[in-house]
Amino acid sequence: MRRPSWLLRLFLGLPMIYLLAMIGVPIVYNLAMSVQEVTLGNIAAFARPFVGLDNFTDSLADPIFRRVLHNSVVFVLVNVAGQVGIGTIAAACFAGGFPGASTMRGLLLAAWILPGLVVGTVWKWMFATQFGVVNFVLSALGLIGTPVHWLSDPATSMTALNIAHIWFGIPFSMILVAAALTNIPGELYEAASLDGAGPLRRFRYITLPAIAPALFAVACLVAIASLRAFDVIFALTQGGPLNSTNVLPLLSYQASFQDFEFGRGAAIGSFAFVMVFGVALVYVRTLKSEQPA
Amino acid sequence: MIRSRHVAQSVVAGACVAIYLFPLYWMAISGFKTQAEIFADPPSFFPRAPTLDAFRYVVERENMGRYVWNSVAIAIPVMLVAVTLSAMGAYAMSRMRSRLVDAALIAVLLLQVLPEALLATPVFIIFKTMGLLNTHLAVVLATSARAVAFGLVILRPMFRQVPYELEEASYVDGCSEWQTFSRIVLPLMRVPLMVLAAITFAQAYGQFVYPLTLLNRQDLQPGTVGIYSFIGTEIADWHRVMAFAALFALPILLLFMLLQRQIVSGLTAGALK
Repeated sequence: MRRPSWLLRLFLGLPMIYLLAMIGVPIVYNLAMSVQEVTLGNIAAFARPFVGLDNFTDSLADPIFRRVLHNSVVFVLVNVAGQVGIGTIAAACFAGGFPGASTMRGLLLAAWILPGLVVGTVWKWMFATQFGVVNFVLSALGLIGTPVHWLSDPATSMTALNIAHIWFGIPFSMILVAAALTNIPGELYEAASLDGAGPLRRFRYITLPAIAPALFAVACLVAIASLRAFDVIFALTQGGPLNSTNVLPLLSYQASFQDFEFGRGAAIGSFAFVMVFGVALVYVRTLKSEQPA
Repeated sequence: MIRSRHVAQSVVAGACVAIYLFPLYWMAISGFKTQAEIFADPPSFFPRAPTLDAFRYVVERENMGRYVWNSVAIAIPVMLVAVTLSAMGAYAMSRMRSRLVDAALIAVLLLQVLPEALLATPVFIIFKTMGLLNTHLAVVLATSARAVAFGLVILRPMFRQVPYELEEASYVDGCSEWQTFSRIVLPLMRVPLMVLAAITFAQAYGQFVYPLTLLNRQDLQPGTVGIYSFIGTEIADWHRVMAFAALFALPILLLFMLLQRQIVSGLTAGALK
């Protein structure tokens, strides 16, 4: 390493200034707004009525906010379990090295590259109560008697959303876990086979311990992605019915852009910022412990 | 024995992949159906009389071309800003070592995770104050920010792999720092930069929250907002909605197929190392 030159400082400075201006400033501005009353009338003014922590206490007292907070937590946990679980199984299967394995694995990623809005729209059509292919397949298999109102019944809407969002996220987990799997020395498996360990035991006693740190990092990334979820939900259910699929970012958007209570939207946003930052800090720590350099 | 087991594995895996990708198939074939066939019970898993009517309808009547053009007009500048700024920053981060750089890296990792839907409220008001609402510039500026942060995370480990000896040799030969960067280092980074360009293009092309909040003039809106307003108005016309969605997703899927291998290796390097 040489002494940092002016060129390197400029190279580092430009993107950092850009990030501070486009993300740092909005975060601070958001905090300021969350203690103000911001309406369409005073939106462009700098001096707005200071309301202290009213936006926060109002939100906390609001049963809808509490429901949405609960939804957010459930949504994140289910998605982490589903995406990382299925992604790990898929990665382990494709690691077998049968003909066409890498091509098939690549094909799966096609789902991940799609815009979230397209994914939500396609699943909305598949989950349609009448003429939807999900209900058709389930009834053809004899699993349901009458059509399920997937998206219009608060009892099933979250399940539908979870299925769509887990589907969207599986390839990402699979690719990252697959990378971790390639780092396990093959001799370990050979030795275990000689000792008579079957595939399930080898997975349990060799694979899982070896990839545990990577799995934790992937779980953090999936949690972050689920806390960011917006497009799929917006296309699929708009958070409804009766807020049964609403999550914090969507509630914040609705407060700001549908109710025009920007201060409340900012306060809800601040809650969610804290949650995302919390997970992100854990993720950053796992990176540091994995990489001594 | 081993051979036949491999074949069986391939068949099972192929079936799983086919089931997984069924939603993409369903999107595509729904677009080729007529309205009567869309509402057939039981549904047909292969269009009985494939027709391009729905595709023609969305191109001619729903301004598909303008929506795609707007998406591209937003995605290309985002891609250029992201690749340029993050290549510079990632190079600097890989060549400097100080507390400041460590702090910058952690800041980048944290900024990268923030949900756009939460930033939309302050960003909307800031751009409104600046009079930038209803411009592509506003969407490009807001969307690029996360793309730059993402690029820094992805590219930094790549730049670290460039041996410093190469640069020393270049200095011995009398090259300036800028020449070393642009003529020695950047050409070596061709593939990672291409991957980053492809990913940021795809993400900006699919960006929804910022155009939804910052653009309310329909002639400026990209395809994501177009699909959304289309579902709102024509809820029953699923063959047309699916034709719109399939046409809109097509460029991204093609781009992905071209660069699939490089994208996979680029992603894994950035996220876990």
